[in-house]
Amino acid sequence: MRIRSPKDFWAGLFFIAVALGFIALASRYGTGNMHRMGPGLFPILVSMLLASLGLIVSLRSFVIDGSPVPRFQLRPIAISLSAIALFGLVLARLGLLAAIAAMVLVGAAASRESRPLETAGLIVVLIAFSAVVFVWLLGLPIPLWPDA
Amino acid sequence: METLGNLAFGLGVALSWQNIVYCFIGCFLGTLVGVLPGIGPVATVAMLLPFTFGLGPAPALIMLAGIYYGAQYGGSTTAILVNIPGESSSVVTTLDGHQMARKGRAGPALGIAAIGSFIAGCIATLVVAFFAPPLADLALRFGPAEYFSLMVFGLIAAVVLARGSLLKAIAMVCFGILLGLVGTDVNSGTIRFAFNQPELTDGIGFVALAMAFFGITDVVSNLEHKDKTDVYDERIGSVLPSLQDMRMSFWAIMRGTALGSILGILPGGGALLASFAAYMLEKKVAKPPRNFGEGDIRGVAAPESANNAGAQTSFIPMLTLGIPSNPTMALMIGALMIQGIAPGPQVMTERPELFWGLVASMWVGNLMLLVLNLPLIGVWVKLLAVPYRLLFPAIFVFCCIGVFTVDNKIFDIYVLAGLSAVAYVLFKLDCEPAPLILGFILGPMMEEQMRRAMMINFGDVTIFLTRPISAAFLIAAAGMVMLIALPSLRAKREVALQE
Repeated sequence: MRIRSPKDFWAGLFFIAVALGFIALASRYGTGNMHRMGPGLFPILVSMLLASLGLIVSLRSFVIDGSPVPRFQLRPIAISLSAIALFGLVLARLGLLAAIAAMVLVGAAASRESRPLETAGLIVVLIAFSAVVFVWLLGLPIPLWPDA
Repeated sequence: METLGNLAFGLGVALSWQNIVYCFIGCFLGTLVGVLPGIGPVATVAMLLPFTFGLGPAPALIMLAGIYYGAQYGGSTTAILVNIPGESSSVVTTLDGHQMARKGRAGPALGIAAIGSFIAGCIATLVVAFFAPPLADLALRFGPAEYFSLMVFGLIAAVVLARGSLLKAIAMVCFGILLGLVGTDVNSGTIRFAFNQPELTDGIGFVALAMAFFGITDVVSNLEHKDKTDVYDERIGSVLPSLQDMRMSFWAIMRGTALGSILGILPGGGALLASFAAYMLEKKVAKPPRNFGEGDIRGVAAPESANNAGAQTSFIPMLTLGIPSNPTMALMIGALMIQGIAPGPQVMTERPELFWGLVASMWVGNLMLLVLNLPLIGVWVKLLAVPYRLLFPAIFVFCCIGVFTVDNKIFDIYVLAGLSAVAYVLFKLDCEPAPLILGFILGPMMEEQMRRAMMINFGDVTIFLTRPISAAFLIAAAGMVMLIALPSLRAKREVALQE
């Protein structure tokens, strides 16, 4: 047996894992019966459908040819995700201005083409734009800086 | 005649000065962001959503609609000038549009795209005005069983018409439904799948979900490829097409509009399918001499008219049934919910100013696009010169601010990061994100309708097949799956979608 369509194989496994996880959680919520459906019943029904689809997709990958899983490039995704999480962390503590600066500074590293001076300029522009448009013009309740 | 009266009423709403301003801002921002390569309409609408939070429901929806067709139109500008489709529905426009630009006819190409879109928009507005009310009347008579089956039908139709493997698409729908169920169950008060996180009791934020699957993932995948743009940097000159161009394109625009209007109404249809189908049709029926692929103006006029018509008529199922036919409409429904309006057939009777105001604003918006685009084309072109290394951090910032401002919860930003990781893996495994978003929006509604149906009918599952309308929806859904599963048809579908 050889996996002929790795993308499908892994996608199928992913779906099965998700479905099993949801079933495990949902079975604790009480299923009720078909007349009075409990909070767990509908998720379990959908999960069972998902699991069977996942099973078919992954089994089919032994029969049908497909393309290999493309290489994961760690740099863009890892840096992007860290930059987003960092934005949240900094926003909670130091406000929007610092959060934008931190995020752009870190996020820019996701591309090899970023240049330090440009990034600095970009930070200034984005901070000015966000402060003026979102906070002053639109009046969105975002803390600009840490409240003393 | 009632329709005309309603349209006049809607025009009154749309022409109030504040709605004109919001419609204008929407069109402007939509075009601005839509022009940027690699940002599609879904990401554009999601990113610009926070601009509408402070507004009432009608201006918010009018502005979002403006953003949507602005983004749609901006995408074509990019397609013609840079040969990179700003979004998937302008892929076909690159074929002839960019060839025209190469031959020094970028101006007329842009002009005909704007004019075609405008004509299509005007006609599609009428289609919406005439077709939506009867559909809503019909839907008001649906019981829970019919509604449930209708949603199944809508979801299946959407995935059948979408790209990629059908099984994986249906699996993505299921995953979306499950994600949609996270949070407090309205019937029993049970908090489901929240991992004891109090922030998750209200469920996963749909803006975060949409951004993760359409914004962040797109940026990351763009970063993985070196961007090599082929920007058109000559002077564009007059954007007015010659009389001969107009005469040649007239029927192409009409055919594109008709096809787009029909395909837009279908679930899963909308702009993308419409533009492809219109191009194919034009290739077959246009009067010779045909130079498709080498800069035939009809190859721009037809798909551009079709995608605008489709973009507009795809509002019909959203407004009348509360069922999104594509991810952008899913966002619109989400925006309605944020405004505290339950989408569905009752919107038209309970909030006529919302419905008719939106319909009329579509026409106003199209006029604005025409006025905005022809003179401002030079500005958009300059925008294209902004390198991606400067764009993507800005996209990140706007995504994060957008996600945060929905509920002012820092937690949602972490949700965005987490979902982006999931979205990235699924993207690498060729699992289309669109079905997931549709499932996410429809999941809770499906559960609700199923529960009601079961409650009324004492747990008798056969009710879905014994009520005629419900049975018809389910049979139609099953029929579509069967058709796709047949190998011969599948091959044809692949060809059609790949071209």
